[in-house]
Amino acid sequence: MSGSLTRSILVLTILLAIAIALGVSFGSAKIDWNDEVARTILLRIRLPRVLLAVAIGAALAVAGVTFQTLLRNPLADPFILGVSGGAAAGAAIATAFRWSRVPGLVTAIAFAGAIGATAAVFLLARRRDHTDPTRLLLSGLVLNAFFSAVILIAFTLSRQADLTAALRWMMGTLFGATWANVALVMSLLVLAMIVLAFVANDLRLLAFGEEDAKSRGVDVERVKLIGFGTASVITGAAVAVSGIIGFVGLLVPHLIRLIWRRDFRFLLPLSALGGATLVVASDLLSRIIVRTTELPIGAFTAVLGVPFFLSLLRRAR
Amino acid sequence: MLALRNVSYSYETVAAVRDISLEIGAQQLVALTGPNGSGKSTLLKIIARVHAAHAGEVWFEEKRIADWPAKEYARRVGYLPQDPDPTFPMRAIDVVVTGRAPYLGRFAWESDRDWQEARAALELCDAAHLADRYFDEMSGGERKRVFLARVLAGTPRLIVLDEPLAALDLSHVQQFSQLLREIVDRTGCTVIFAAHDLNWAAAHSDRMLVMQSGTLALDATPESVMRPDVMRAFFGFDAETVASGGRTWIVPRTSS
Repeated sequence: MSGSLTRSILVLTILLAIAIALGVSFGSAKIDWNDEVARTILLRIRLPRVLLAVAIGAALAVAGVTFQTLLRNPLADPFILGVSGGAAAGAAIATAFRWSRVPGLVTAIAFAGAIGATAAVFLLARRRDHTDPTRLLLSGLVLNAFFSAVILIAFTLSRQADLTAALRWMMGTLFGATWANVALVMSLLVLAMIVLAFVANDLRLLAFGEEDAKSRGVDVERVKLIGFGTASVITGAAVAVSGIIGFVGLLVPHLIRLIWRRDFRFLLPLSALGGATLVVASDLLSRIIVRTTELPIGAFTAVLGVPFFLSLLRRAR
Repeated sequence: MLALRNVSYSYETVAAVRDISLEIGAQQLVALTGPNGSGKSTLLKIIARVHAAHAGEVWFEEKRIADWPAKEYARRVGYLPQDPDPTFPMRAIDVVVTGRAPYLGRFAWESDRDWQEARAALELCDAAHLADRYFDEMSGGERKRVFLARVLAGTPRLIVLDEPLAALDLSHVQQFSQLLREIVDRTGCTVIFAAHDLNWAAAHSDRMLVMQSGTLALDATPESVMRPDVMRAFFGFDAETVASGGRTWIVPRTSS
């Protein structure tokens, strides 16, 4: 592995460790190992929550950098191909039918919606064994509009009591963090990272354009399928578990790029660490700023990320 | 080295390349010319294995190009597309070293040798001073040179260049032409390039291919292409010739 990458990974890992330590230490209850209740809060609530933040942040950032590279579009984010719309529509329908009482069912339906949406977008954009990035983007855009309509209808038919939970999910939340969810997102993330590392050398060539990559011996359609599939699965899992947390997938890859300006093989691990750090820090803020309630985490990823991004952008030539 | 037999390719409704047969040997500098939309780029893409021919066969070194393992072929044939673009900001040297990609294993990083080849290629293209510059801070001509270096870094035996001259200033056009000649003479590789500037193409090639609506209309020496009747018939303009420096130059005739 390249030496400068090892160093960069080390720096970001330390940053993430600090964020995790802070995230676990702070909250409405004090940590006290001798206190049974405090220990339970730590192990059953706070620790899984912080680790879920790690997994979600990393998953969204990795999906973001993968979509940006595959679509050769700096404005792409994990939700651009209808993944979030599909998941949200699934969750909204589940809410309307009052299935939210069954534990895990909303998550499962949201995940199915996410994967279904991606598959639909892919099939719509495919023509003569070729998937055109522009058609992909357009199909994603149109499907997202369709899902918005489904969500509106489903919400109108839902009960007031169910709506609050659904809305909270739409804004993104780590409220329902369980060890099962942590295990689900984390294991999919690790798997996705391995798969993406497998095609990383090809993906970085794809940034130069499909024809250029083909002339360099890259099996472009295969790499696209693997890349889109992997990124969609981890996005789907992240959205199904914790709703739509914006900005991470769009912003973090750009942050990393502004600092390191290197190819996909660098961006992949560094984005994962950066995304995890940003979401853990945002979650911490969303919990401690107002004591009485929990502010939406998706707002804090932007509140934290945007100023940092703008200052970097100003310093870059 | 390279042989095309009755090669055709069509986009959805347009036949871009029609029934082209052609042989190109080692150590040749071949210019591919023809009006806009005559199929030059498509032909180059077929040779670079970007497109697979819809009919006919392409052979490279005694093997059908479809039978070559993709990376093996990419090591031997280097292709410069018309508008290469790395999309995201990158240093020139990082762009050039991706030319070594066909030599890299799946999880491998570039070796010292790869970096050396990249630096040497930049040097050859008079772009060593650009190595650490970012791509978005370079002029069109500088980018072109960096991308040519990227092709050379892969040490290909067949070099396929689509409009390498566009965006180059005159002194670099001159330098570039000499460079191509040197590469061909020194390494024995073959270069095929598409170009619109007929005078330049003729001055710096051993052989000229003229395409017209997807077919190979003419395959001849530069001297026999640079004639007013050829210009009229294949390029659609009236021209006269001027002799200078032991060569024939084409000058379009103005209607006044």
